This record gives sequence, C-alpha cells and structure tokens, in this order.
Amino acid sequence: MFFGARARQRGTRAPLALGAGLAGLTVVGPALAGAPPKVGPPMQTGPENTLGGLSDSEIWGAIRHEAFGIATSQRPEDGVLIDADGWWWTELRMPSGPLVQGAIWFLLIVILAILLFAIVRGRIRLEGGRAGIRIPRFSLTQRVVHWTVAALFIIMALSGLVILFGRPLLIPVFGHGATSVMASAAMQAHNLMGPVFAVSILTLFATFLPGNLPSQDDIGWILKGGGLFGGHPHAGRYNAGEKAWFWTATLAGVVLSVSGILMLFPDNLAPWVAELAYGFPRARDLLHLAEIGHVVAAVIMIGFALGHIYLGTYGNEGAFEGMVDGTVDLNWAREHHDLWAGEMSGGSAGTGAAAEPAE
Amino acid sequence: MSIIEFLEGPAWKASAAAFLIFAGWRLVVILTAGRRHPGAEPIGSPLLGAVGTTLRHFVPRPAFWRRPKVWFVSLAGYAFHLGLFAVLLFAAPHVAFIRDHILGLEWAALPRWGFIVAAEFAFAGLLTLWVRRFVDPVVRLVSRPDDHIAAGLTFLVMLTGCMALGEQSVALRAIHLGLAELWLVYFPFSSLMHTFTWVFSRAVTGAEAGRRGVHW
Amino acid sequence: MTASDAPKRMDRQGDAPDTARVAAALEGFLAEFGPRASIYLNACVRCGLCAEACHFYLETGEAKYVPIGKVKPFEDAYHRTTGAFAWLMRAVGMAPRLTAAELEAWEELIYDSCNLCGRCTEVCPMGIDIAELVAEARHGMYHAGFVPDRLAEITRNAESRHSPFGTPEDFRRTIHAIEGEFGVSLPMDKPKADLLLTLAPGDLEEHHRSVVGLARILDHLGVDWTLSSDAFEATNFGYLSGNRELQAELTVRLVDKAKEIGASTILLPECGHAWTAARWELSRWYDGPLEGLRIRHIVEYLAEAVESGKLRFRQVRETATFHDPCQQIRRGGMERAARVVLAALGFDLRELPDHGETAFCCGGGGGVLSNARAEPLRLRAFELKRRQVEETGAHRFVTSCGQCRLSFDRGRAATGWDKAVESLIEIAAENLVEDTRDAG
Ligand code: HEM
Ligand code: SF4
Ligand code: SF4
Repeated sequence: MFFGARARQRGTRAPLALGAGLAGLTVVGPALAGAPPKVGPPMQTGPENTLGGLSDSEIWGAIRHEAFGIATSQRPEDGVLIDADGWWWTELRMPSGPLVQGAIWFLLIVILAILLFAIVRGRIRLEGGRAGIRIPRFSLTQRVVHWTVAALFIIMALSGLVILFGRPLLIPVFGHGATSVMASAAMQAHNLMGPVFAVSILTLFATFLPGNLPSQDDIGWILKGGGLFGGHPHAGRYNAGEKAWFWTATLAGVVLSVSGILMLFPDNLAPWVAELAYGFPRARDLLHLAEIGHVVAAVIMIGFALGHIYLGTYGNEGAFEGMVDGTVDLNWAREHHDLWAGEMSGGSAGTGAAAEPAE
Repeated sequence: MSIIEFLEGPAWKASAAAFLIFAGWRLVVILTAGRRHPGAEPIGSPLLGAVGTTLRHFVPRPAFWRRPKVWFVSLAGYAFHLGLFAVLLFAAPHVAFIRDHILGLEWAALPRWGFIVAAEFAFAGLLTLWVRRFVDPVVRLVSRPDDHIAAGLTFLVMLTGCMALGEQSVALRAIHLGLAELWLVYFPFSSLMHTFTWVFSRAVTGAEAGRRGVHW
Repeated sequence: MTASDAPKRMDRQGDAPDTARVAAALEGFLAEFGPRASIYLNACVRCGLCAEACHFYLETGEAKYVPIGKVKPFEDAYHRTTGAFAWLMRAVGMAPRLTAAELEAWEELIYDSCNLCGRCTEVCPMGIDIAELVAEARHGMYHAGFVPDRLAEITRNAESRHSPFGTPEDFRRTIHAIEGEFGVSLPMDKPKADLLLTLAPGDLEEHHRSVVGLARILDHLGVDWTLSSDAFEATNFGYLSGNRELQAELTVRLVDKAKEIGASTILLPECGHAWTAARWELSRWYDGPLEGLRIRHIVEYLAEAVESGKLRFRQVRETATFHDPCQQIRRGGMERAARVVLAALGFDLRELPDHGETAFCCGGGGGVLSNARAEPLRLRAFELKRRQVEETGAHRFVTSCGQCRLSFDRGRAATGWDKAVESLIEIAAENLVEDTRDAG
C-alpha cells in the first residue's frame, strides 16, 4: 500500500495544534520491506477513511518503522526531522519542566488562597439586608455574552488542562490508555471551540468596555485592599478588582487567540507570519513562542477566573443575580459600588426597575 | 458483544425504531385531533397562502427589524440550524454511517475544514440561544424543562461528536453514538418535534391568511 | 418591580366549587382542540419572539405579557388530555394539572392583555396564530366562570336582552330618536329587502352620525335595505367572551333574518370583530358557503362602489393618518379597500410608522375595551399609538372602526390628548357628491 500517495491526494491534513512538529513534512513512501503498517487508525472499527488523510499516529508509526522522508516543501526547516535548536523548548515544556510544574503550583496556590479566604473572611454578606428595590446592572446582551464566554471558557480550560497536565497528572492516575483517549477528546474539542472562543472574547471586550476604564477611585480601592478584608471602599460601576479581571481576560484572550490560531495552522499560517517576523519562514521558533505564551496566558486566566467564580457565586451575596436577572438589590449596589449606586438612584434607579427594558 | 457492537447493532436499531414509531404516532395524533372546520368562503387562495406564509416566515419582516432580539434569534437560529444540518448530513463519518446503517447510499462529504466551520457556527448558535433561555426573563418564563433538556442533549451530542473527531478511540465514538441514540429516543417526546411541525404550523396559518386575503 | 397595571383581584362568576370550575374549563378547552390548536401547541419552540410584536409587552416590558405564555392553562390542558403522550404523562404522574388557582391567575392574561389582534403571529418563526389560541382558551374560561365581571355582564346582556345595547324596544326607540335628530328616515323591519344593515352598540349609543352616514350611502346607491329590530346587533360578545353557544346564536340569528327577508347581503358597520365573527368564524356553524347570501363589510362595500364609479366625493385635500383596525385589516383583508376610500376622498395619506397588516392595535380590541378594569393596561397600549400618530404630523386622524374610536376617545380623555379621531364612513357620507347617480 502506497499510503503516501493517498496523503497527497487528500491534500492537507487536518489542522492539529499538537501536530505542529510535523509541519510541512509529507511522507512519500514507506521503506518497509515486510509488514507495512496497518492502514487506518489503529483502534478504528467504524467507518473507514473519514479523517480525510493520515493521522499523526500513522505517520509516526511509519517513521518509527524507518520510513524515509523526502520533503516536498522547499522551506529550509522542513527537511529537518529533529530540530536541535528546539531543545530549550523541549526542556521547558516537558512534564517535569518549569512550564508544567509552574502551572501546577500556581493553580494550587490560587485554589488554596481562595479556600483560605473563604474560611477566614467567609461569605461577604449584605450588611444592610436587602432593600427590596432592584436596579438594572447588566443588559441582556451583556448577560448572553458573559455566559456564552463562560461556557466556552470552561470547555477550553478543562480541555486545555487535560492536554497540559496529561502526562504528569492523568497518566499516573488513569494510565496511558485512558489518558490518550481523554487527550484526543480534549484536543479535538479544544481545537474546534478555540475560534468560537476567540470571537466570544472579542464580543466580551466590546460589551463590557464601558465602565472598565481605569479611574482615580481605583487607587483608593486598591489601597484599602478592595474591602476584601473588611470595609467598603468607594467604587464606581466596576471596582479595580473587576477592572483588573476585565483587562486580564481581554489581554490573555488576545494572547490565547493569536497564539492559538498560529498553532491551529502550523503549515499555512505560521511560516507566513514567521516570514514577516524573522525575515524567513522559521515557523518552529514562532510556534515555540506561541505555545509558551498560550500556556502562560491560559494559566493566569484560569487562576483569575477561579477567584472570579468564587466571588461571583458564593463569595459575595447578591452578586450572582445581577448576571442572571440583570438587576441587583439597591443595598448591594450601595455597599459594593456606592458611586455607581448614587448615579443610578439619582437617575433612573427608581423607575428603571423593570427587570428587562423592552427596547 | 462489545459495547460498540451493541451500540451499532441492537441499540441503534431500537432507538431508530423508537424514533420512527413515537414521532410518527405524535404526528398522527396532532393531525387527527378534534373537529376540523371547513373554513369560510375564501377571498384568496388558501393554498397560495399556505405556501406564502411558509416561505415568508423564513425571514423576519421589516416591521420587526427594529427589534434587536429578532435579529439575534434569527441569526443565531440560522447559524445553529444550518451548521447542524451541514454536520448531520455532510460530515464524512455521518455520510459513512448513513450509508452503512440507514440508506445504503452515500453522497459527497464536506471537506474536514468545512465540517469544522459548520460545527463552529452550530455551537455558537446553540450556545447563545441556550444561554439566553436562562437570562432573558421572557424566554425563561415560558421555557419548559423540556426546552432545556432538548438543548442540553443536542449540545452534548455535538460536543461528544467533536471530541471523537480524532477517530483514534472506540470509546469516544461509543459515547457519541450512545448519546445520539438517547437523543433520538428523546426526540419524539420533546420540542425537537418542531423539526416536523414547523411546516404544518406555518401552513395552517397561511391557509387561513390566504382565505382572508392577508399575509400572516 | 414597577407598580403593575394588573388588576389586584380577579373576578369570578357564579358560586360553583373549584373542582366544578376546572371540569367546566376542561370541557371548554377540549371542544377547541382541533388540528389547528394541536399543531400550534406542538410547534412552539419557546423563542419568545412573539413578545417582540405585542404592544402590551413592548409598552410595559413585563415578561408575563409574552403572548404564548397567555395560553398556558389551555396548553396544559392539551398536554393532559389530548397530546400524543397524554396517557404516558398521566401514567407517570407528569401530566400538567389544571387548578382553579391557575385559571384564575390567567384571567388577566387571557382577557385583559390580549386584543386578539394577531400581530404576534407575524413575527413567530412557526407562524402560530396565538390570537386564535387565546380566543379558544376563552371558551374554557367562560365556562369556568373566570371572566372579567364587566365583560361577563355585557355578554349576559347580549344573551338576555338581545344586545349589549338593549332590547328590540330600546333599539326602535333609539332609531326613531336618530330619525328625529337628523331628519332622516331609517327603514326598519321591512318584510322584504335586499340588504340587512346591522349596527354596533357604539353606533347606537354615541356614533349616531355613523348610522346616518350608512343610511345616506345606501340610499345614495339606491339599495333596497332595512334595519331589523330583532336582528340588529353586529357585534358578537359570544366570540369576545368565549361563550361559543352565544356566538353561534348571534351569528345564526343574523343569517336567519337575512334569509327570512330574502336579503342577498348582510352589511356590517364600522366594527372589526363583527367582521371576524360573522365573516370568518361563520364556518364554525355552517358547513360550506351560504346560498345566495353574502356577508359584507361597509369598508369593502364602499371601496367597491368607489371603484365601480357609483360614488364620488368632494375632495378633502388634507393630510390624514389612518389607524388600521386589526380585525378589518390584518385579520380581515381590507387594507387596500380602506386606502381606496381614503384616496377617493382626496386625503393625502401619511401612514403610521406601523401600518397596514403590521399596525398596532388601539388597545381596545378583543373585548378589552368593554373590560373596565383593564383600563390602565389599555392606556399603555394607547400611548404607543398616540406616539405614532403624532410622529406622522398628519392633520386628521381617521379610522374605520367604532370600537377603535371609543378606545381612542377614552384614552384621549384620560391623557388630555386633543387629537380627534374620525370615522371614515362619516367623512365619506358627508362628502358625497349627490349628482353621481345621474352620471352613473
Ligand atoms: C425549518 C425548521 C426549523 C425552524 C424554523 C426552527 C426554529 C427554531 C428556533 C426559532 C429556535 C430558537 C429557540 C430559542 O430561541 O432558544 C430553535 C431551537 C432549536 N432547534 Fe430548531 N428549527 C427548525 C428545525 C430544527 C431541526 C431540524 C432540529 C434538529 C434536528 C432543530 C433543533 C433545535 C434545537 C436543538 C434547538 C435548541 C433548543 C431550544 O432552544 O429549544 N430545529 N429552532
Ligand atoms: S414566537 Fe412562536 S415559537 Fe416563539 S415562543 Fe412565541 S409562539 Fe412560540
Ligand atoms: S394577539 Fe395581539 S394582543 Fe394578543 S398576544 Fe398577540 S400581539 Fe398581543
């Protein structure tokens, strides 16, 4: 079976982020004397050849069986099967390397800090009870965007963490077989949902920008520790903590989107961008940077998100309903966003209580 | 019998049969209910009215273009439904499944990138529509548990489907197939039946509109 | 929450126990579960778009006014009794249970907050005729005795005294008074006539000039017409209240009278729901078209006479805007006819932002005008119309429905708006050019 021919017929392989290492390589023929590798994915019993080409495992299988490669690509790096210059990256990225270990420790510390805060400070309750007057806080558009982003974020974060922590954390617990299944599932979901998540982050930015620009009140808020340890510093529509989350999510979102898209198109987009950046199409260096940026941004965003989720649900009484109904209790607004509450009750807070303005 | 053999064999046949029988039964009950009035002496043609209304309701009429929600539901709705149809009928694994288990014939499948883009639109549409069900007081008020179950099951079928895209594991395929079968069995009992009822609904309204010489 | 416009307390008629009320409601609902209702109730995807068309939701922003939510008890009853899996749902205890409390709670939504205007159908992706469903739901509500008191009272008058306006005796007296007041003669109870003219209570109570206008136009056309003191009522409070038995009786009464006097036409006055009840709902009681008898509305009748050259008018030459009565236009097919008459009168028509088949209701349709307690809500709908009328900048404000006019007049009185609303028929009658008969 001359499976290289098939690979060419079917054109480019699927964009596989993790398949970046095989960029541009086309295996044109197996140098196998006796037993050719089984054609078709190894554990496949379902419909045949629906992948639209060779899978990585087939190609690697062939390489391991001493297939020789002739690069059809003319790009200088594509003839290189193993990139010695990439060793620094390999060391950085391996399960015991600083990237993965740092991520594990960072997230552990965040979780412990939240637990500690929950125990010490407890739930931040409405001190004055409920006023029973609702004031509008988030429009329907904002709520839909928020929860769409949230749902996509959870899918992206969980699948991303499976990919990142598979070898150090999952294999020891579930073994190789189950982890490979999980990793495959996670990678496919991650790659497919990624572009949707990127678009959703952009809409998040557009819909939540008003009110999130830095202001003078932020300084006082930060100096008083955000009232997390008692007291209620002044705050406008959003306090400095929320603003920090907004900008973190936006910046991390941009980094994640850009690096993610580069990794989605290692064969087409990355060399082209590398050419722009370095003057020659050295995609591998670019992809190394992209992956590091992707991991760092993701881990920061996940850590911050854990805090956000805690404060948005149990941690802060009266906050969650704002993002569901769109309205908050007047006392909640006074305690957490006094300046904004002032504006609102000066303006429309009395009359604008309709849960959803019709227009 | 392995799990995947079970799901591809008896379980598949049983769920497909349940789908056909119960959906068919529901349609029969709907269409034969109660007494039918003959209708007043027509001004216009009920038949043309039925066709007109069926077509007209594919696009919101200009009088409602001022309303953002009309745009949102229409665009998200089309993104979801068109994406879903493309994936359902033209994804390579589905084409093969339909050939092997349903019709015995096949047609051209979407290239992989086309399939992925379609799935992305479908996800974006379904997710935003479903999210709105929780946060818009209007739809939250009228949503039944079934509306959430239908959306949730569909979402899970789609999600497991895209997780099985690597086609490296029988387990993933089995999960997707099992959920799809569950979805099929649930379908006739749920609001997913609008897949079939939409055309009747528009048509009966249109027939009355045609009779009255108006354009509902 | 804003202070709601909803009534604080619901009305109930009679003293039947709750279980009997629920049973009666079910019986009324069951009679309505034909293929149409059945298809609709199985097609809704709960997208909520219908709210985007309904003036009650648009003006109040209150989610409870989402149209499809208004028929919940009706829908529950369907899934309990008639739906494809009703047996299964009952067996596993998941069938919705109808309670008197629910019926009572829905009284406001079914009667006060729906004009049966049909605008929501136009936006519904499934094209569901929610107005039809609400009208059907009223059938059960009426039987259960959950009707707004004022509407129930008017309906009882229609039943016991011949008409909400009064008895045949009251009618004769009023017609004589109008004859005296305007110096016209109005033929009554002729044993034979080609056309039976019917009137609405509003014509007899307030809009006497409309009666005179109708007479003048018919005389001008040389029609052999009559009023009938035992079949004069054009409106149908059976239809509005959900009393289907009365609805049948009122329709059959008109048809029988017309047959008795050998009329070829029953002419309906400037009223919207009269047209719906007599023209479109007729087939509930008659299988097939009526032999040799047509039910006509004065608006289409007038337009036809204009187009055949039998009527000519002095030219008004002023700007005007026109309120499209829902039952005549969106649900009645006379959008063009009304504009033919307006154009013949020489009006420079400035259409409302929403006009024709997508016009908004005046707020009074579907029995809401007769339902006194619904006034605060009705005024919200009126506000929308008022804004749109002012937006046109037109001098005159014309419509072709007496109920709409009453509804606007109440709204004007409550809000101090000085824009008079005029009758198309009255304007037409006043501007008739008398010599056309020779010309024609
Ligand atoms: C032309 C035919 C169809 C029309 C007009 C239509 C219309 C709609 C609309 C307007 C919604 C939005 C509901 C919302 O706002 O949440 C919806 C949702 C949905 N539709 Fe369809 N649909 C059609 C066919 C189908 C088909 C064939 C399927 C599946 C095979 C399907 C599955 C769904 C699902 C799963 C949802 C989301 C669940 C929900 O929110 O209720 N639809 N449909
Ligand atoms: S617009 Fe139609 S389908 Fe949507 S909720 Fe209303 S009635 Fe149901
Ligand atoms: S028929 Fe008219 S009043 Fe009734 S729910 Fe629909 S839009 Fe609202």
